[in-house]
Amino acid sequence: MATHGEITESLQAFHKSYQENERLKLMNKDWNRTVLVIANDLESAHTLALKEGEMSFQEGRQGDPDLTVISDSDTLADMFFGDITPIEPYLNGTLKIIGSEDDITRLDFITLLIWGE
Amino acid sequence: MKKVVSVSLGSSKRDHKVIANMAGQEFEISRLGTDGDYGRALSMIGELDGNVDAIGLGGIDVYLYVGKTRYAINDGLKLMQAAKKTPVVDGSGLKNTLERETVYYLRKNTGLLPSGCKVLMVSAVDRFGMAEALIELGCDVTFGDLIFTTGIPYPIKSVVELADIARKILPEMVKMPFHMLYPTGAKQDSQDEDKVQKFGHYYHESEVIAGDYHLVKRYMPGGLNGQLVITNTTTREDLLFLKNRGVGVLVTTTPELEGRSFGTNVMEAVMLVLLGKAWEDIKPEDYLALIDRLNMKPRVLEL
Repeated sequence: MATHGEITESLQAFHKSYQENERLKLMNKDWNRTVLVIANDLESAHTLALKEGEMSFQEGRQGDPDLTVISDSDTLADMFFGDITPIEPYLNGTLKIIGSEDDITRLDFITLLIWGE
Repeated sequence: MKKVVSVSLGSSKRDHKVIANMAGQEFEISRLGTDGDYGRALSMIGELDGNVDAIGLGGIDVYLYVGKTRYAINDGLKLMQAAKKTPVVDGSGLKNTLERETVYYLRKNTGLLPSGCKVLMVSAVDRFGMAEALIELGCDVTFGDLIFTTGIPYPIKSVVELADIARKILPEMVKMPFHMLYPTGAKQDSQDEDKVQKFGHYYHESEVIAGDYHLVKRYMPGGLNGQLVITNTTTREDLLFLKNRGVGVLVTTTPELEGRSFGTNVMEAVMLVLLGKAWEDIKPEDYLALIDRLNMKPRVLEL
């Protein structure tokens, strides 16, 4: 089981990679969304906010989420560190994402564009 | 008489059957839509297996070619593997050849595709041959793959960038349920009004709109001013729809049979029967020779 601190570190890595990717920022200029990330096997919540292409990130719950990402702590840490993609855990039910289908597809794309190779 | 059946995840409203003579061989060609019901498509293929000469898969791609790399869509592959005796094709082999040739034909024989003309390809990863040919001939192409599939307002302007993005996302995206990537079933009979509003300007800014018909239609705004549409599968109702939206000329890459153009999967299935070869042994030269023998030319229609 990963710790809250490890999830925080993974999200910091995700956030840093996003912010360094100018193409991604340009792609998301119109996509203002709040994404809540929750672990289901320990007390851990983080909030990612996208506004005019820029991503910010805070520990805890902030605002009303448009998308809620729920999984076990290991999967969350692995995913945001880029060790696994979201597709496999999403398809086998380990990862749940609550939101519109378009937003879910778009979040998957962002993750793949950050880590995909 | 040879029998070819196209099993489609698309709407059953487009079902159709024709008898056609191709290179001296009589064919009964039919199309069976499953309204997006994947399970029904699987069992239909199982029932047809061994009872027809070839099966085409419609409304779904199995293989996507980006440069020399081939990606297999999991849901499509499962359908293909549901038949053990009858060959199943998705049209991707022919599409790569035929659509490239269509672009060359239009440049050589018509004034419809001048150098520098602005082209919108609503999706290019499913027809990379056409994308490469348009760029090769000096068209100013916008690839709408991210815009229309994911809602990301990012026009891709080169084949190199398209291939770069595809390399990052396709190995994983092909594992997703197909309905999340492409309109199936009832979605094919409607438009995505949000995206029409948001991204319709890409259509207005282009002189040519190219790509899969269901995608072209799903995001097409009204008030176009005589644009050229290059696509594959259209029915009589589709011609009316395009005309009402302001499209000026329609080019379909597959020939017309009794008032409609069939998908490339159907034509590939017919060609497979005529060539008498295993699908994996057919080369682009084989398709080109047969296209020539069948005197297959794009259909150019003033609307």
